[in-house]
Amino acid sequence: MSEHAFIRDLREIVGRTNVLASAVDLQLYQYDGYLEEHRPEAVVFVESTEEVARVVQACNRHGKPFVPRGGGTNLTGGTVPFAGGVVIEMIRMNRVLEIDVPNLRARAQPGLFNLELGNALAPLGYQYIPDPASQKAATLGGNVAENAGGPHCFKYGVTSNHVLGLTVVLPDGRVETFGGKAADTPGLDLTGLFVGSEGTLGICTEVLVKIVRQAEGVKTLLAIYDSIEEGSETVSAIVAAGMVPATLEMMDQLVIHAVEASLHCGLPMDCATLLLIEVDGLKDDLESQAAAIGELCKAHGAREVRVAKDDAERALLWAGRRGAFGAVARLAPSFLVCDGTVPRTALPQVLKKVAEVAGKYDLRIPNVFHAGDGNLHPLILFDWRDADMKARVLKAGMEILTLCAELGGTISGEHGVGLEKLEAMRLVMTEADIQAQRRVKAAFDPANLSNPGKMFPAKEVACER
Amino acid sequence: MNAELRSRLEAIVGPGLVFGPGEPVDGVRPALAVRPGTQDEVAEVVRACAVAGAAMIPAGGGTAMGLGNAPARADVRVHLDRLDRVVEWDPANLCITAEAGMRLEALQELVAKDRTVLPLDPPGLRRATLGGLVAAGQTGPGRLQHGTLRDWVLGLRVVLPDGERIHCGGRVIKNVSGYDMNKLFIRSLGSLGIITEVTFKLLPMPARRAAVLGRFADPARAWAVVGRTLGSFLLPEALEFLNPEAARRLDMAPDTCVLAVSLAGSPETVERQAREFGAFIQEAGGTAEVLRDAAAVRAWEGIREVLEGAFEPILCRISVPLSATATLVAATEGMAREAGFRAAVTAHAATGVLRALLVPGPDPRPGEVAMALEGLRREAEAAEGNLVLEAAPPHLKARLDAWGTPSGGLDMMKRLKREFDPLGLCNPGRFVGGI
Ligand SMILES: Cc1cc2nc3c(=O)[nH]c(=O)nc-3n(C[C@H](O)[C@H](O)[C@H](O)COP(=O)(O)OP(=O)(O)OC[C@H]3O[C@@H](n4cnc5c(N)ncnc54)[C@H](O)[C@@H]3O)c2cc1C
Ligand SMILES: Cc1cc2nc3c(=O)[nH]c(=O)nc-3n(C[C@H](O)[C@H](O)[C@H](O)COP(=O)(O)OP(=O)(O)OC[C@H]3O[C@@H](n4cnc5c(N)ncnc54)[C@H](O)[C@@H]3O)c2cc1C
Repeated sequence: MSEHAFIRDLREIVGRTNVLASAVDLQLYQYDGYLEEHRPEAVVFVESTEEVARVVQACNRHGKPFVPRGGGTNLTGGTVPFAGGVVIEMIRMNRVLEIDVPNLRARAQPGLFNLELGNALAPLGYQYIPDPASQKAATLGGNVAENAGGPHCFKYGVTSNHVLGLTVVLPDGRVETFGGKAADTPGLDLTGLFVGSEGTLGICTEVLVKIVRQAEGVKTLLAIYDSIEEGSETVSAIVAAGMVPATLEMMDQLVIHAVEASLHCGLPMDCATLLLIEVDGLKDDLESQAAAIGELCKAHGAREVRVAKDDAERALLWAGRRGAFGAVARLAPSFLVCDGTVPRTALPQVLKKVAEVAGKYDLRIPNVFHAGDGNLHPLILFDWRDADMKARVLKAGMEILTLCAELGGTISGEHGVGLEKLEAMRLVMTEADIQAQRRVKAAFDPANLSNPGKMFPAKEVACER
Repeated sequence: MNAELRSRLEAIVGPGLVFGPGEPVDGVRPALAVRPGTQDEVAEVVRACAVAGAAMIPAGGGTAMGLGNAPARADVRVHLDRLDRVVEWDPANLCITAEAGMRLEALQELVAKDRTVLPLDPPGLRRATLGGLVAAGQTGPGRLQHGTLRDWVLGLRVVLPDGERIHCGGRVIKNVSGYDMNKLFIRSLGSLGIITEVTFKLLPMPARRAAVLGRFADPARAWAVVGRTLGSFLLPEALEFLNPEAARRLDMAPDTCVLAVSLAGSPETVERQAREFGAFIQEAGGTAEVLRDAAAVRAWEGIREVLEGAFEPILCRISVPLSATATLVAATEGMAREAGFRAAVTAHAATGVLRALLVPGPDPRPGEVAMALEGLRREAEAAEGNLVLEAAPPHLKARLDAWGTPSGGLDMMKRLKREFDPLGLCNPGRFVGGI
């Protein structure tokens, strides 16, 4: 009865056809790229801030949890409706609202794909910097919620460094704006706190971002190595030499083979690892920077360094990197994307250990990652129909995160905690640290309706207050 | 309460490190001052104050103590100057961790040994401490290229108002394990706890530096160069506008305004930009002077500090969307004239942040300053910006809220304050909305 009243309320707000409640429809929203599944009671398609607010208010009235969903490309179970309730699908809120070139700002709705904002800015000679490899299918709202990074964040920073303001529907259904077009809005940095909050502090319905001119010039290099250690040592050497490339990405042999088999980018099949390096900025010193980097690569064991001659060659190199996750999908029925971070100099060590973990659990683990940031993505291949293998995958993943934490890194560089890493939080946080985070959650969402079950490990001790 | 708390504090930090009364903060004098020497001691001090219900005012280098409203209460001034150690310096990974009382300048001198820099250039660089810097979120001209403090802090250790010690972030560039708690404490003006340790990301030192100084009789011509720069590919590190009054304080040139350009990078890019900016300035009708290396660095030190060191300063910071910068500079000058003051105004010309120091003219009408500042604030707010009083004598603060009309989210800020500091013991009343 109350079940019915709830669905009826939702339909009243967004219209009949914008609420899915049939078993078949709901099945499609019970999973994402992670391994766990939970079924929602309804899926609601929203088109405006006001609709989102009213849906959230309805959830409050009925005591139902809600989970915002963008592209569903997070890989940690962030969009899985763990406690049931409503999935609020943001994908129709996909308009660019304003491109304000004189103020170097753009405003957009959260359901817009990251790449589409880029496409809208490019003809004007501007760009929005964060560019996750998933940019074709990931939304700005999802980027904000995960504090997404991308190949260019080594030099330019992650989403948090580029978002200046947000319109947010708070967990109780009120609408607030954080930040704004001017710098330094007085008060606590709620924008900064919201970015990376994985849908647990409310729903963002408008994003205000910094835009910058496209660089005058770019040079892209590919360095080819016969040993993975030499490749990862080069990364530190480049930084130690005082250079700050825009991109420092790495792929190993398994990934290269998968990419070649599906995308035919002309990558060498017999090497151990590749570094994709890009320098950008004023054109005057790009040649000399590229030459200096090429020399460094060779001094650290690269057998060959290729420099993209033109845009077409550059695009081909990038197609390989951006398509890598997809290409790896042909190697096995499933894979788990690990996402850990270590200090850059620990890369050779951690890669060696990842290979040991692969051996120990009898798994194949290709690597493709943001080497400049020390952000590794071991892709643990498996077959989801094999329960024993699945159990080994989870153990191997946890072991890799433990390694990252031990080496001074952390358990997530960009994909977030979601459902996957609840327990891993303890690898990098004390109970007091986690308790402080719970206080933030309590301030925003005392009723615990906004994406519950995510981010916080089970309480070890009862909350004292 | 005082005698008892005093002996508790002495038991923690040792005798001779608790004294009283403390230096006043905006006219409010704390009964006690304490100088803990370790992060553990800070936690114990805070716990003792919490038990006693004593309001704490954390203090670093004194460069931004005037920022905010006068404290609602002040019982214990907690000096962090003895926490000045480097905890971990990892040059190969471009990061450094140091205690909150360390001076920014000391940190810069240290990391320069490895040819790296922390690209933050707030006013008061000499005295500013890392903790105060994080708490106050002060920025300088270099934010044009390098962003602000929040872009360079990787991790923090904080003692919460109940004495609990926590750690946020870490020492890697990318970290999304849980909420980005650094953001909660950066620019929170000590209202949510005492910062005891900071980890910063560093940048390799540029190979070359230069500065181009453009002098203009007509400010409109200087702003034309700013517009042209924004439309070009050029990447100046900083672009600072100084009105004639500010330029005069630097002995730069009487009756002209100055557009100063800071350039950093490889020799090729610096030389090309020096050439192009020289041409931009001349084509706009100004005169250009190019300074290199040490001379450039010296010039920037002067520009960065030009508004500091005034006696009883009235200093405000205005942020507006970039395109309103020139208008607000003019409005600030007009406002000051009306109140019988002169205004030394500087603007980070390509980020929309300006600062103004009000200096009494021949016929000052101090009573009118508050009204004039209110008017200017309305203008800034109408342009989607804000005006913050960075320092002012107590009588002015009594008439004018330091922060202006609260922005969106004030209720959430208050809820966060209640969660973290339910007794209101950390810098009470100083921050936005009475937090
Ligand atoms: C092939 C591939 C490559 C990837 N590469 C990268 C990479 O290079 N860098 C990187 O950072 N990530 C990468 N990712 C991860 C993922 O794409 C990003 O985290 C992305 O930001 C998620 O966006 P989304 O729209 O898919 O969000 P979703 O997966 O739909 O949602 C993610 C989280 O955000 C919440 N959420 C969604 N919309 C909103 C909203 N409007 N308001 C509040 N919360 C919201 C959800 O509840 C969920 O918790 C990759 C993923 C894949 C599959
Ligand atoms: C040699 C000398 C010269 C002096 N010259 C001057 C002078 O010219 N002008 C002057 O006004 N005073 C001066 N003083 C006074 C002295 O600097 C200040 O009384 C004191 O050091 C205040 O530092 P601060 O907190 O303002 O630091 P700031 O770093 O400016 O603090 C800014 C804000 O952040 C808060 N805060 C500071 N540290 C922390 C932290 N670790 N965690 C959380 N919040 C924090 C503060 O409460 C304050 O709200 C001088 C003192 C000395 C010894």
